[in-house]
Amino acid sequence: MTTDADPAFSVELRERLVPLFGADITIERLSLLAGGASKEAWALDLRSPHGTRELLVRRAGGGVIHQETLTLEHEHRLVEVAFAADVRVPKPYGYLGEIAGRPAFVSERVSGETIGRRIVQRPDLAGARAVLPVQMADELAKIHAIPAEHVPFLRGVGARDVLDRLTEEVDRLGDAHPAIELGLSWATRRAPGQSETVVLHGDLRVGNLAVTQAGLGHVLDWEFGHCGDPAEDVAWPLVRAWRFGVDERHLGGIGEVEPYLERYNALTGRHITLASLGYWEIVGNLKWAIGALTQSRRHLSGQQRSVELAVLGRLAAEMEFELLHLLERVG
Amino acid sequence: MQDRPHAAELAQAVREFIETEVLPGIDDPRLRFRTLVAANALGILERELTLGAPLVRREVVSLARLLGHADPLPDDLEELRRLASDLNRELALRIRADDTPEGTLAHLLATVADKLRVASPRYLERYR
Repeated sequence: MTTDADPAFSVELRERLVPLFGADITIERLSLLAGGASKEAWALDLRSPHGTRELLVRRAGGGVIHQETLTLEHEHRLVEVAFAADVRVPKPYGYLGEIAGRPAFVSERVSGETIGRRIVQRPDLAGARAVLPVQMADELAKIHAIPAEHVPFLRGVGARDVLDRLTEEVDRLGDAHPAIELGLSWATRRAPGQSETVVLHGDLRVGNLAVTQAGLGHVLDWEFGHCGDPAEDVAWPLVRAWRFGVDERHLGGIGEVEPYLERYNALTGRHITLASLGYWEIVGNLKWAIGALTQSRRHLSGQQRSVELAVLGRLAAEMEFELLHLLERVG
Repeated sequence: MQDRPHAAELAQAVREFIETEVLPGIDDPRLRFRTLVAANALGILERELTLGAPLVRREVVSLARLLGHADPLPDDLEELRRLASDLNRELALRIRADDTPEGTLAHLLATVADKLRVASPRYLERYR
C-alpha cells in the first residue's frame, strides 16, 4: 500500500468501507489530493476479489467549517438524490460517519480536467468547450427539477435573504467597502419579488466540473447546495472570475450565454431573461467579492493561516471593479 | 535611515529567489500553486511600497471632495490611511442610508482601479 495517511486513519477507513464493499478488501493507495481547513479529498484505490475500484473520500478538515456550507452528511445526501435524478455526479457509495474524529463520505473517483484555467485554454478541449454550454444547461435543468422534499435540510433563500446574508458578512469584515455597498444598494432596489424556489447546486461553474474531450463528465462540489431562485444558479457561471481570463466568452470563458439560456428555458419551460441573468450576475460578483474578503479574514484572525487566503483580501478588488462596470452599464 | 536594499528591493529579491531557485524544484502541484501565490504576494508588496503613498493621498482627496470636506489633509502617511478608512466608512454609511453622493460611481471606479494598480495590474489591463 502507498499512503500518506496516518495508520490509524487508514485502518479506521478500511473498517468503514467493509459494510459497503465486503470484508475482502485491501487499500492499495491512499493519497491526499487536496487538503484545507474545511475539506480533504483522498484518492483511494480499493482492491477486492472483483477488481480494483478507484474511489474518492471526501472528509471534513480540522478547521472550522464555513457556516454556509452543508455538512458532509448532507452534501452526500444531496449527491445521492442528484444521482437518483440522473444528474451527472460521481456515483456516491455511502456516508462513512466519523473517521478519526471527522465525517467523511466515499464516491466514485472520476477523471477529467477540473482546473478552470486549463478548461478554457487547453487546445484538445476545444470540442468540449463547443458542447459545454448546452450540457451545463442540461444538468442545471435536472438539478432544478429535484423535489425539494427529498432534501429537506436545504435552506431556502430568495434574493432578499441572499442580500441580507451578504450585508451581515460585510458588517463582520471590520472595515468599510463602499463599492460593495453601492452594489448591495442597487441589488436591494432591484430585487425581484416572490419567485419560484428550486433546489440549486449553488456553485455550478467551470472549475467545479470534470471535463473530458466529450464535454461535461461530472458535476462536482455540492457543498453550497441550497434552495432559491433558479436564475441565481443559471447566472453564476457568467461571473467574470469564472471565465479564467477568457473574458470575451461570457459563459465561463467557454461559450455564449444565449444558446445556454435557450436550452435551459426550453428544457424547463421557464422564461428566464437576459435581464434577470444580468441581475444575478451582479449579485454573483457581490457574493464572490465578499467571499474573498471573508476568506482573507480567516487568515487574519488566525483561524486558518494561509498565504492563499491572505492574498484573496487584495484580489477582492478585481470583483469590485467588475461589479462597478456592471453597475455603470445597467445605470 | 536603513541601508539599501530598500524595503521594495528586499521584497523583490525574495520574489526573484522564489521564482528562479525555489519554483523549478517543486513538483507537488499544490505546493507549486501556493508558492506562485507567495511570489505574487511579494509582487503586491513591492508595488505598494513603490506606488502606495501617492495612491492613498489621491483616494483621500477624492473622498473629501465627494463628501464635501474641506479640512487640510495630513502629510503623515499613517494619518492619511486612517483618514481614508474613516472617509470610506462615512461613504459606505451614506450609500447604505440611500444618500449616495453625486459622483460616487466615478470616484469608486477610479479608486478601485488604483487598488488594482497595486494588487493586480494585469487584471486592470483586461478592461482596456
